[in-house]
Parts: sequence; C-alpha cells; structure tokens
Amino acid sequence: MSDRRRALRGGGDRSLSDRFEGRLLTLFAVATSATLVVAFYYPVGTVLIEAVRVDGGASLGAFAEILRDPFYFGEPARLLAGDAPLAVARDLVSPDRRLGIVGFTAYQAALSTVASVALGLPAAYLLARFEFPGRRTIRSLTIVPFVLPSIMVAVGFVATFGRNGTLNAVLGALGLPPVDLLFTLEAIVIAHAFYNAPLVARVTTAAWESVDAGAIETARSLGAGPLRAFVDVVAPQVYPAVLTGAALTFVFTFGTFPIVLALGGFQLATVEVFVYRLVRDLSYAEAAALAIIELVISLGVLLAYLRYEARSAVRSRGARPLPRKPLVPSTPTAREWVVRVGLAAYVVVSAVVFLAPIASMILASVTGGDGALTLEHYRFLAARQRTAAAFQVRPWPAIRNSLGFAVGATLLALPMGVVVAVLTTRRYRGRKLVDAAAMAPLAVSGIVVGLGLLRGLVFGVEIAGWRVTASGAVAIVVAHAVAGYPFVVRTVAPGLAALDRSLVESARALGASRVRALRDVELPLVWPAVVAGAAFAFAISIGEFTATVVLATGADAYTMPIAIERFIGRRLGPATAMGVVLLVVTGCSFVVIERLGGESRGL
Amino acid sequence: MRAVGSERGSDTDFDRKEGGRRADAGRDSDRDDDPVAVELDGVTKRYGETAAVDDVSLRIREGEFFTLVGPSGCGKTTTLRLIAGFEDPTGGTVRFGGESVAGVPPEARDVGVVFQNYALFPHMTVGENVAYGLNFAEPPGGVTREERVAELLELVDLPDSADRDPESLSGGQKQRVAMARALAPGPDVLLLDEPMSALDARLRERLRVQVRAIQSELGITTVYVTHDQEEALAISDRVAVMSGGTPEQVAPPRTVYREPATRFVAEFVGDNNVFTGRVVDAQADGPGDAGTDTGGDDGGRRSEAGTRDENDMRDENEVGIEVDGRRFRVGLDDRTARESPDPGDRLTACVRPEDLRIGGDRNRITATVANAEFLGETTRMTLDWGGRDLVVRARDPLSGEVDVGFDPVDAHVVGVERQ
Repeated sequence: MSDRRRALRGGGDRSLSDRFEGRLLTLFAVATSATLVVAFYYPVGTVLIEAVRVDGGASLGAFAEILRDPFYFGEPARLLAGDAPLAVARDLVSPDRRLGIVGFTAYQAALSTVASVALGLPAAYLLARFEFPGRRTIRSLTIVPFVLPSIMVAVGFVATFGRNGTLNAVLGALGLPPVDLLFTLEAIVIAHAFYNAPLVARVTTAAWESVDAGAIETARSLGAGPLRAFVDVVAPQVYPAVLTGAALTFVFTFGTFPIVLALGGFQLATVEVFVYRLVRDLSYAEAAALAIIELVISLGVLLAYLRYEARSAVRSRGARPLPRKPLVPSTPTAREWVVRVGLAAYVVVSAVVFLAPIASMILASVTGGDGALTLEHYRFLAARQRTAAAFQVRPWPAIRNSLGFAVGATLLALPMGVVVAVLTTRRYRGRKLVDAAAMAPLAVSGIVVGLGLLRGLVFGVEIAGWRVTASGAVAIVVAHAVAGYPFVVRTVAPGLAALDRSLVESARALGASRVRALRDVELPLVWPAVVAGAAFAFAISIGEFTATVVLATGADAYTMPIAIERFIGRRLGPATAMGVVLLVVTGCSFVVIERLGGESRGL
Repeated sequence: MRAVGSERGSDTDFDRKEGGRRADAGRDSDRDDDPVAVELDGVTKRYGETAAVDDVSLRIREGEFFTLVGPSGCGKTTTLRLIAGFEDPTGGTVRFGGESVAGVPPEARDVGVVFQNYALFPHMTVGENVAYGLNFAEPPGGVTREERVAELLELVDLPDSADRDPESLSGGQKQRVAMARALAPGPDVLLLDEPMSALDARLRERLRVQVRAIQSELGITTVYVTHDQEEALAISDRVAVMSGGTPEQVAPPRTVYREPATRFVAEFVGDNNVFTGRVVDAQADGPGDAGTDTGGDDGGRRSEAGTRDENDMRDENEVGIEVDGRRFRVGLDDRTARESPDPGDRLTACVRPEDLRIGGDRNRITATVANAEFLGETTRMTLDWGGRDLVVRARDPLSGEVDVGFDPVDAHVVGVERQ
C-alpha cells in the first residue's frame, strides 16, 4: 500500500515533473521579483543615483541645495541656510510667509485631509447606522475613486467650476455674480475631497459596522448613557479607521499630480508637478533629488501610520452588528429631527461635490458653445482622427493604446499580484519585509517610476556589452502593471488569508503539491477576488497618468488620459467627450469589481 | 457495602482479580514485536524561544491506534503536524517505516489527515472531495475511481451521497466524508486532529465507535489527537499523555488510568485525590506498626487484609505518610518500591474517587460534603477535608459529615521526592 503513491511518481524518487511542480511557486516568485527589480527597483534606483551623482562622484549637494532653498522649503529652509531661528519663526507667523513648494504641498495635503475626513465621516455615519433604499449601492460606490482616472475628475471639475462651468451657469441663472474657482487652492482641495472622502467613508463604515452590539448593550446595562456608550465603546473602535483614512489621504494628496496639474497649473505647483516640470526642462538631477525628498516624506507618514496600526489593530470578527435605524422614524423626537436635518444638508453638499463634476462633464460633452445639445465634440474627435497633424493627438490611437496597455498591464499584474498575495499570506520570518517591498510601488510617485523607466529602459542600459532598450509602449505597460498589481494583492490576499489553512493542508496530505493545491483549492475559492483584482489592474492602467505622461513624451504611445490633458487647456468640449469615453470604460471595470469583489477587498 | 458506582466498581474488582495490569502489559509486549510505522526521535519544534514540542521520542507501531492527549498548548497538535509534514522539526528526526522523512513534503508522505473543522473543499461535491486524492495515486485494489469513491462512502455509511454539496451535510456527516477522503488513496498513516471536538457529546460517542471500527477493519496505523481524556481512554491502543511539549506517559489506556506515571497524568486522566506528605515509616515496617497510625481502625484493617491474598503480599510494600498531621498508609508497586522511600521523603500518592469508599474504615477521613453533582448512574461529590478537596462517588447524594477511607493497595504513588 505504502509504495503506491511513490510508484505512481516513478520509482522511489519523486519524478522530475513533480519536482518541477514543487518549484513552480518559487519560479513564479523569482519571476515576480525580477519584474519588480527591472520595472521598479532598478529604475527608481537609477533616479536615486542620478540625484547624488555629480561629475562622476557621489554628493548630497543637490539635496542640500533643495533643503536650503526657500523656494522649496519656505521660511524653515533659512534655518539650514544659517539664519537665526527667532527671525525664521517671526517670519513664519507673519501673513506673507513663504511656504515653499514642499510646504505648500504639505499644506494643501493637510487641508485636503481635513476636508476629506469632514466629508467622509457623515457618510460613514449614514452608511453604518441607517437603513434606506440604495444604501448598499452607495456603499459599493465608495470604491469608485480608486478606479476613476484623476484626469477625468479634473475635467469634471473644470466643467463644473470653470468660467463657463455649471456652477457659474447656475449662479447666473440665480442672478448672482460668477466666481472663478479654477486655479485656486479651493478647487484643488474640493477635488481631493471628491477623491478621498469616499475612502475615509469606506474604511470608517467597515470599522463602524464591525462594532459589536453586545459591547454597547453591556456598556448601557452598566449605566452608560447613549452618548457615553458611543464615546467609550464605539469611538475607540472607529477612530483607528478614521486615522487610516486620514493617513492614506494625506499620502495620496501629498503626491498628487494630475488634479493639481489640471486645476492648479504651475502657479499652484505641488512637489510632484514641479518634479514633472523639472523633468520636462531636462534638469534630471534636481528632479530626482526633489522626488526623493517627496518619497521620504510620504514613506515617513506611511511608516509612522503603519507602526501605529500594528499596535492598535483589533478587528472583532463575527460580532453582532448594531441594528440600523430607519432614515424616516415613525415618531421622531426633537433630537432625531436635528440629526436628520443635518444629514439632509450633508446629502445636498455631497451631491454637489460628488455628482456635479461627473454630471457637468457629461453635460459639457453634449453642449455646444451656444448652449444647445450637440454631438459636435464627439464629431470633432472623429474628425481630428482624420485630419490631425503629426504633432496633434489622434483620438483613436489614444483609445487603442489605452485598451492595449490595460490588457497587457492586467496580464502582467495578475500573476504578480496573486504570487505576492500567496507569499504574504503565508507565515514565515521576513514576511513583513516581503510585504513592504512588494507594496512599495503604492508609495512611490509615478513621476519617479516614469523617469526611472525613461532613463533606465527606454534610453537603454548596457548589460555585459549588450545594449538593452525597451520601447515606450513596453515601458508604459510595465509601469502600469507595477502601479496596478498592489491592488490585485489587496483584493486577493484577504480572501486567501480568510481561507481555512486546513483546506490547503488537506489537499497536500492527499498528494497535491503546493502549486496544485493553489490551483485546485485556493484559486477556485477566491476566484471572484482574482477577477476583481484584474478589473482593478485594468482600471488603474486605463486611468494612469503620471508615469504615462513622462513615458509618452515623443513616443507615439499616448493614452486617453494624456489626450484629455492635451485637450483640456484648449478645447474643453473634446476633453469632456474623451472623458465620457473613459468614464464608460472604467464604469465597466467598476461593475466587474463590484459584482465579484464582494466584501473581501482589503482597501 | 460499596457505595461506588456499581459498573465502575465491579470492573475494578474484576481487573484486579484477573490481573488486569498483567493483561495490559501483555498486550503491550505483543505490540513490541510489531514493526514501527512512525517514529519520532528526539523531535523538537521551537517557535522563537518557546518549544511547542520538546525532545519527543515516540514509536508508533503498524496498525496501532495511538492517541496524543493533553490540555490545550501541550504540543499534541504540533506533534501531529510534524508527522504530517505541515511543520518541519527544529531538531530530531521523524521516520516513516525506519526512513527519515526530513524535507519530504506532506504530499509525498502517504498520510491521510482529518481536521477538526472537516476542511471539505466547498467548491466540490462530496464525491469530488473523496476522489481528490485519487488524482495523485491509483485507487488501491485495482478498482476505478468511481468504485473507490463508492466503496469509501459505503465504509463511512454515507452511500449515494457522492453528488451532494458538502454544505448540505450535518457536522457528523461532514466528518465522515473527511474520513472517507483521507482514506481514499489508501494512506499508510491516518492522522486525526481533534476530529470530533466540534460535535455534540452523544454524536461524538457514536462516531468514535465508528472510527475505531473502521480503523480496526482497515488495520491502518492511526494517530489521534484529542484533549478529551475520556475519548482517549475509550478509543486507543496506546495513549501518550502530553504536557508542556513532552509526553508524561506513553502506555495503554488502563495503565495510564490505574498507574499514572506522574502527578500530572494522575490529575489529567479522570478524577483523582492527591495526598502529598512526609514518609513517617518506611516500607520495611510491618503492618503492626501501621496500626498505631490508623488508630482504632487496626482490627478492621487486619481482618480485611486477611481476606485478600494480594494484600498480604502488598503489606510489606506499604509506607506511612503524614498529611497535615494525619497518617495514612499507602501501597507501593514494583516501581515505587524500588525507589524505597525513606522516612522524611516527600511522597505523593493518589486515590481514585471510586476507591475512596464511603464508610471505608482503613485510612479513614472525616470530611464534609461541599458539593454533590447527580450524574445519573452515580453522584459525584466534592468533600471538604480541612480545606482540601476530595472527590468521591456514590449512588445517591449525601450531605453533612461523612467518613471515607481507602485501602492502601488502592493508593497509587506518583512521586517520591528525596530529602
């Protein structure tokens, strides 16, 4: 009996194919690491080296210059330049203080974070504590910003808040003077809130829903009033989630690019925008040094947060959730009225912030200069396709490129993401390190990755006498895959982690190799999450702007977001028309994510 | 005369008269000739600083039903996982049929594993679950896959359920499907990790009879992990009682119950009354001296001893101990007699509740009933004796003060601490 399984494998030893299968996971892991090194760590590394290399030697001069330059660091930079601290402090509190680009970036990120939390918390309260028709739909819509191309959002905001935008049309109809919010800090902060408030709402709602009703009932039975029970029991469980949302929002908005580029221009440049400008001006060393300073700040915030999270992560599972209140109570008390009036006001505000940009964009795409409904912008796109000059953007290649790159990026990102998900859900020493190394692309700015790929791969590298170059298109696919695969990991890993370990162990005891168990047991069980991850990767690629804008220069490799950016300054109509096309494509991705991703998403 | 639960009591008498210990020992020595199926040789598993399994050496014989029992955290499940190959030992060697399996992954070890939570593949039917292992091994006996699946489902008494969805089965049914799935490829060793802990008590008893019957029918080497000592005694050929990552005793169930090797085993397996005291007279003393210790009980003890021949033998192997100023006489068996405790040594002896007889006149203790649990066939009572708890069994609940006593031969010495 004992030798049967062995006999089947060809004699006393395990057969060659069997050994190969046993190593398959290792093989995949090596391939994924290699891809990450080539497409991420090496390019980012070259940027780093670029920043410290001066005339063949290493120097931190570029950093020192930036840190000492008030143009970048505002008044505090003078401290490093040797000014008296007191004088600096006095200037800092004076009204005409200089923040510098880094200071401004942090300032707008902080404002955006506050706005996002302010806009996100009432939504979390509404979604977690009330029952009303459409609640589930709205809850699932909170994932949308992850897949919404930011350049499209920018178009929507221009269509809403621009000189001829919806807002001014409404104000004009009411007989009020027009306002021009475009190229103001307010527009940027609102756009960031549009983007990040749903994230805050999403993580907070999840935490709120996992509060055990039993814990509150216990507090109440021990003598705590409703408010006291909220402060003592609910708030401590919810506020780590709020902090998660806030930390992520700060990091995202600190590295913001397309929104500021489109809504702020170079007058309101953030670090990322300025890095882009330096790249365009071919000041690579300064761009690299600035990008690294940005990276250090983002990673610092993220690491500080992760350290905090590691200490305070308690997620009760299987708790009995709080019962939801009806939105319209049968016999409302005065207090209930106040709450509901407040919520109604909130709904109006959020409708303006969240719906107006999208609606305005769609409206603008079918509105002519005379205000009548028209398809002229779409016709313009079609005409431009036929008549465009060599330097002009043709719509069809943009759409074709976008779809092609997205398919390629998804095909690359999916196996990478699954492998990393498998590796990070197993227990072993150094798992956290693997996790961090694999997730780093989330934190590093697309400009740096794009710049690295441009300098490292597109311009070519010399390896053992061979000159290796990649075309712009290949570099874009790789950059998109690197940007998208963390989302695959984040959708697939929770599913894998939630799987009972004994399922895999049963399969293995029955004779399946590790890879076979993955194929036969784990993947079929987390399949919806894998498909959702693929849709994520696809949507991220479709909307990716930052790395693409660096890599697409010169090459005939522009995508829809790039086309929109080219149109946006000159012709809003075609930009909005292109935006609608983009909206349709990403909308389809969202439907796939929503239908299949379920609640297993990690983000 | 005896108020102890009748079944248990008569069983005890029967065993003693028939030489129950020798019977156990005999079975043990038969087994010694069987080839070793699984051997653990100084196996250690560390997680950081703590050793979950600490230098464990076990020899599990072919066809044996071997149980690892102990409280949670004693290392029993880790030991099983080391055998299965889910964990790699930090030190020592695991051998299958004499060959080291170091570095051999679970899929190449020919083991069948059943988990507590069934771990049925939810995306496959019952039949597909059972057939899964046949992807990697030919069905034994030259039958087709379908025949093998039907055979196994028949074996676990679930015929015609091949097309069912695992989720539609009850807990007990799921567990039997898991068993069928583990057995389908004809593994060398069956590993069961608390397979019944999630089931209710009555179903558990029924299922364990079934599991044992299947095991006997197939003659498959089985390693069974449980925290339930009663289950371990009921189902096993041999039991390893584990604590702190090490087996405290490896022996057949009756030996473990009657002759626990350590105080831990004595207290973990079944109820026990533990007496720890200083030896006041060594075993060389005759029974006459003992009379002064037990005072007025002298005559009674003598006459009772006279009726039982083994007591005559044992009397020479008795010592007196003093517990809280009260003197008791306890018997020594061959092992403890060899240690020949001297006066002043600290000695720990235990007496099973069924041996602590109400109204017994040797080693008499007067105690107060603190608590009585009526269990049906017996009543389990906790007595308070000067702040110490004693457990006795009787047919009906008692209250107030009761006299209990035990025969020195029923006391089992589990430890001698030299002074």
